[in-house]
Amino acid sequence: MNITLPQWNRGLIFAAAVIVLLIVLPVIGLPLNWVLYLFLFFLYLAMANMWNLLAGYSGLISLCQAAFIGLAGYTLVILSWMGIPFYVGIIGGAIVAAIFALLISIPVFRLSGIYFAIGTLVVPEALRIIFLLWRPVGGGQEGLAGGGAGYVLKGATGVSMTELYWFALIIAVASVVFMRIILRSKLGLGLAAIRDNDSTAASSGVNVFRLKLSAFVIGALITGLAGAIFYIYQSYIEPISAFNIRWTMTLILATVIGGMRTEEGPIIGTIVVVILHFLLARYAGISLLIQGLILVIVMLVVPQGIMGYLRQFQVYRSLLQFVTRR
Amino acid sequence: MTWDIFTDLSAPIVMGLLLGGLYALIALGLSLVFGVMKLINVAHGDLVVLGSYLAYAAMTLLGFDPILSLVMGIPVLFLIGYGIQKFLMQRAFGISMEAPLLIAFGISLVIQNFAQIIWSPMSRGLNPSYAMETFNLGVIHLPVVYLLDFIAAIIVMLALREFLKRTYLGKAINAASQDNRAAQLMGINTERTYAFAFGIAMAITAIAGVFLGLTFPFTPQSGISFLVIAFGVVILGGLGNILGTFIGGMILGLAQTLGAYFFGAATQMLWVFLLVFILLAVRPQGIFGR
Amino acid sequence: MVSGFGYMVKMEKTHQEALLEVSGIDVFHGSFQALWDVSLSVRPGEIVALIGANSSGKSTLLNAISGIIHPTKGNIKCEGRDITQLDPFQIVGMGISQVPEGRRLFPGMSVLDNLIIGSYSGRARSNRKQNLERVYELFPRLEERKNQLAKTLSGGEQQMLALGRCLMSDPKLMLLDEMSLGLAPIVINELYKVLREIRERGITILFVEQNVRRSLEEAERAYIMKTGRVVLSGNVAELREEEEVKKAYFGI
Repeated sequence: MNITLPQWNRGLIFAAAVIVLLIVLPVIGLPLNWVLYLFLFFLYLAMANMWNLLAGYSGLISLCQAAFIGLAGYTLVILSWMGIPFYVGIIGGAIVAAIFALLISIPVFRLSGIYFAIGTLVVPEALRIIFLLWRPVGGGQEGLAGGGAGYVLKGATGVSMTELYWFALIIAVASVVFMRIILRSKLGLGLAAIRDNDSTAASSGVNVFRLKLSAFVIGALITGLAGAIFYIYQSYIEPISAFNIRWTMTLILATVIGGMRTEEGPIIGTIVVVILHFLLARYAGISLLIQGLILVIVMLVVPQGIMGYLRQFQVYRSLLQFVTRR
Repeated sequence: MTWDIFTDLSAPIVMGLLLGGLYALIALGLSLVFGVMKLINVAHGDLVVLGSYLAYAAMTLLGFDPILSLVMGIPVLFLIGYGIQKFLMQRAFGISMEAPLLIAFGISLVIQNFAQIIWSPMSRGLNPSYAMETFNLGVIHLPVVYLLDFIAAIIVMLALREFLKRTYLGKAINAASQDNRAAQLMGINTERTYAFAFGIAMAITAIAGVFLGLTFPFTPQSGISFLVIAFGVVILGGLGNILGTFIGGMILGLAQTLGAYFFGAATQMLWVFLLVFILLAVRPQGIFGR
Repeated sequence: MVSGFGYMVKMEKTHQEALLEVSGIDVFHGSFQALWDVSLSVRPGEIVALIGANSSGKSTLLNAISGIIHPTKGNIKCEGRDITQLDPFQIVGMGISQVPEGRRLFPGMSVLDNLIIGSYSGRARSNRKQNLERVYELFPRLEERKNQLAKTLSGGEQQMLALGRCLMSDPKLMLLDEMSLGLAPIVINELYKVLREIRERGITILFVEQNVRRSLEEAERAYIMKTGRVVLSGNVAELREEEEVKKAYFGI
């Protein structure tokens, strides 16, 4: 893999400054509310980047991201009951998610485009039912919703919000860097070819199955990682919310609004989505309705997303040139 | 002693087979839309449940019998389907490969949330007097609704088949699905034809929704289960194959009833999902497919 | 006498408004320009040929006329009315019908159903019975096989069905795209014979034909295309003398 190290230019300096600022924020007294929203932003960003990798760049409209999040979360919680520290638990969760992705890839990759989407739609639903009935560590917590299938994270008080915030920030930055590298690598080019035309790519020697699988598993890994971190924060897990379609909706919206197939898209889109969640917090009952409507309208009116739209303008292009000069 | 097992099993088996009719009916709308426009409508399950809710509304607000309420339900869902195709999907086709899918996803959640706001997450059912009746088939007691489902399925499927074969619009739908461009060159307004096809699919879905509501309780979240079932039936039976759709429905129905019988009612959908998944892995073109 | 096919036309070619007038059109396939400033006209009752090598844009031109694809510059008029941006089904309604390349029958439908679908537009529907009889007169074999599925017919019969289907739409102008593709010479001869009968009923024909000699034999006028442009046009008699055309016997 040919990694070209970026030269220092204005944009990069700006990004570095922002990151330093973000690192320092919770320490210099940012209100907890904001820390929380930034925390969510980082996690969503990582997940949205992965969804962009799958749906935007590889043509795999995956509707099962919630499965990875939930599985990673459950792994984390179960491991906590067995006395294993969080740091290991998170990684365990990510690995479980990745393995699961590997397993379901066999049936699910035989399907193209639309079939794939439905195949993936089923998975979180099936997992929800399974975890409703299966008590991995015997006897859930009565009184929690989900008929006793919920679990509390053991030792949740051992981690501070600031630490979690930094974890999430690392993951988010890593995901952005990761996207940058991947898209310029052989893997990225191969995926672009596949998205364009499966059979043409195959006849040019691209190992279609293996590339898709790589993207899918990597996506699951990082999404699981982010999900597990979320559950450290939330400190309890139950099937109905772990495998809920809201996760999927959030990721799709973030990527679509920001601009599929752009690197900056998920960043912008996630900001919008977090703001949206903030605004809709009081209206939990209709939040999915509003999000659904927004999705439909955006797809019809601005399908290329904010970044895609901006790219059309000379002003933006000039700005880009300005920023990337040294 | 073996006869005991037979009689024990015979109830779930017969029920599974009859249930197949309902499932075939549910799948019919999805199959039509996919066959004609090559679009898998991920909102399909939610539209079926919407049909159930409309009948429920007619029952609770106006006191109508659910089957009779179809007089209103069919036109309403027809218009919804026509509108979705004409104003949303038609545009989506020209935007990108994934646009129709994402839009359908959005619609799906809108419908789910809408139903939840109006009718709450509590499970509902359509329970006119005859929904409780049972009848006897030999030693088995079966709910009457299962038989009604089966009969309704047969009637609707035959009606659809005749419609596609004999009417101008039916032939146009057929032609447009076989070769869009050639159909246009024959003077067929394919945009309008597609909208009609979607509308008809939704009209059938309205019927499916009513019979669904008579048979099972439903919640705003039920849609996905029925999407999976419809999808499974379409895969199993192959497209456009009426007999195949029926058989596919019966196989899934059996999976559900036998799964419930051996492993408990809480797991029944799981067996259906599992079967669909295995099918996808082993033979995505279906039993009758090419 | 008013016939079911076409419209009653006085065979005087003095003052005739062009049935089809294409003026300076550019057509793009995505970012690739397929037609450059193409103009063409067809008068009622004529038979005009479009000649050119494989990617010279002939099919694109026919598709532009039929409304499948729209020009970015220039316009297309039918009997004086602008049809440039109309949808295909509207253009059929105005009396211009195409027999597409490769026939594109509906394979799963019967011969009869294929013919009936041809008369879908409102105008043609009222004359359906008469038109069907005329089609059977021209192509008795189609009547014999009327309940067979279209995909079971031989190549020549399929072409006949495609022609018949087009006739069912009561056209004033028929666009034929590579009618002879993949057919044996005897069959091709028969088809052109039928084409002459169709013309006698007053239908105008614009056809694309790979075989240059055949085109010049059957047509009255012709347009020669090369890489998306019209390079030569005129009466067939004049064209036969042109150097370019003589080269075409060997070259194109």
